[in-house]
Amino acid sequence: MISRIKKQLVISGEITLLFQETVYCIFTRPFYWGRLLDQIVQLGIGSLSITIVIGFVTGLVMTLQFGYGLEKFGGTLYVPAIVAISLLRELAPIFTSLLIAGRVGSGISAEIGAMNVTQQIDAIRALGTSPTRVLVVPRVLACIISLPLLTTLSGFMGIMGGLIIAYTEFNMPLGFYINKVLTTITFADVLGSMVKCAFFGIVIALLACYRGFKTREGTRGVGNATTWVVVRTSIIILISDFFLSKLLILFLY
Amino acid sequence: MNTILEVKHLAKNFNEKKIHRDVSFSLKQGETLGLLGNSGTGKSVLLRSIIGLEDIDSGSIIYRNKRIDELSEVELYPIRTKISYSFQSGALFDSMTVYENIAYPLFEHTNLSESEVDQKVDEILSLINMKDAKDLMPSDLSGGMQKRVGLARSMALNPDILLYDEPTAGLDPVNVEMVIEVMKRFKARGFSGIFVTHDIPAARKICDRVLILNEGFIAFEGSISEFENSNDPFVQTFLAGQ
Ligand SMILES: Nc1ncnc2c1ncn2[C@@H]1O[C@H](COP(=O)(O)OP(=O)(O)O)[C@@H](O)[C@H]1O
Ligand SMILES: [Mg+2]
Repeated sequence: MISRIKKQLVISGEITLLFQETVYCIFTRPFYWGRLLDQIVQLGIGSLSITIVIGFVTGLVMTLQFGYGLEKFGGTLYVPAIVAISLLRELAPIFTSLLIAGRVGSGISAEIGAMNVTQQIDAIRALGTSPTRVLVVPRVLACIISLPLLTTLSGFMGIMGGLIIAYTEFNMPLGFYINKVLTTITFADVLGSMVKCAFFGIVIALLACYRGFKTREGTRGVGNATTWVVVRTSIIILISDFFLSKLLILFLY
Repeated sequence: MNTILEVKHLAKNFNEKKIHRDVSFSLKQGETLGLLGNSGTGKSVLLRSIIGLEDIDSGSIIYRNKRIDELSEVELYPIRTKISYSFQSGALFDSMTVYENIAYPLFEHTNLSESEVDQKVDEILSLINMKDAKDLMPSDLSGGMQKRVGLARSMALNPDILLYDEPTAGLDPVNVEMVIEVMKRFKARGFSGIFVTHDIPAARKICDRVLILNEGFIAFEGSISEFENSNDPFVQTFLAGQ
């Protein structure tokens, strides 16, 4: 028990060190614009279609459930506001981040893990360059940039999905729905979810890179690494979401 | 001749496992030193320790009169452009072409323009007979070709010292000759090298001196002829075993 706690503390310490080094490398030269762009394309653009689908479907089902749930109390009028707020503030950030944790987090840790077991990380060092600068910085920044944008898109798609259900299932006039949504949501809602997702982006990329660097035991090690990353980041995202939401409610909304 | 690299009383453990107990030797300017020893005696670990890829437990490593074993990772980056390590497996970047692999250190550490880098990479590729492979990915190459590209990559910056980790192992005889030829040319330009190998004929062709590593100590040190004519029972069993 004690030794397990100790191990977790060591891991947290090492991740903190990696984070410090990453921040240092972000603000010092050389900066690899090409690699950053590659990662944004691979991680961000590559996740576009699945983000759109998830956001849209979430909007559909949320509107359906709230619609029928509130109809009993004659509250259908409130559906657009509730759907828009819950999507933008919570569901889009959480679903998108969990999805990215699965898709991108596992991808990063598998890629870096495979590079590690084939000595490519050592080769980066042996050639007088920094693996943090070359590999971690572009991935962390790509996640910080992509995840908030993907989330915003996902939220927007959800509201669109809600619009379709509100119109077809509940005969709500389109203008009414749009008007309700626009008067309910504020810029702070969008900003808040972007801030949360930027944080989740750091968590995903950093843990995935860290675990990739720690991969030792060949092919099976790579599999273990991806599992570790997806489980860890998902838990951290869900727990930290509670605290971040609390902070945002206190200071922003 | 001046000493360019000196290893003094190096000790290295992995957890409880003692790899090196007390290893000392020096490398002179322009000299190629053969490093022999059975598999698993820590030859790769020794080369990796020299450039700081592994932390050592005690002892010192001195390059051009400067201790480099105490340097931080960042301080080691410039040293690693001067002491270059050619990996046993090649360790090519598998997401990059052969050209990009060899150009990588040039783009990182020189101010050469793209066309100058092109020219330099072409030069190096023709040296290792691989001009046609320029745009191939490492996965398209045989193991031996990957090693040659790895060797080429480690030579790109004209380092002072090249640490060759079994560069000829697993190659066919023609390519063994070619790699030795490349090493000879490198040596002829006055640079130093440490050549880890099991290939005694190859060592004979290029090495000035030989070390044998055994159980964490240097079991033998001497010139190639001293090595081959040694009466030392250890050297004789070693030679017989090869
Ligand atoms: N990172 C490591 N962790 C633990 N043991 C290692 C590590 N690297 C090498 N070793 C061990 O060190 C010993 C020497 O390895 P190596 O230097 O590769 O031998 P060789 O002389 O064949 O090149 C081996 O027994 C190997 O298992
Ligand atoms: Mg070896």
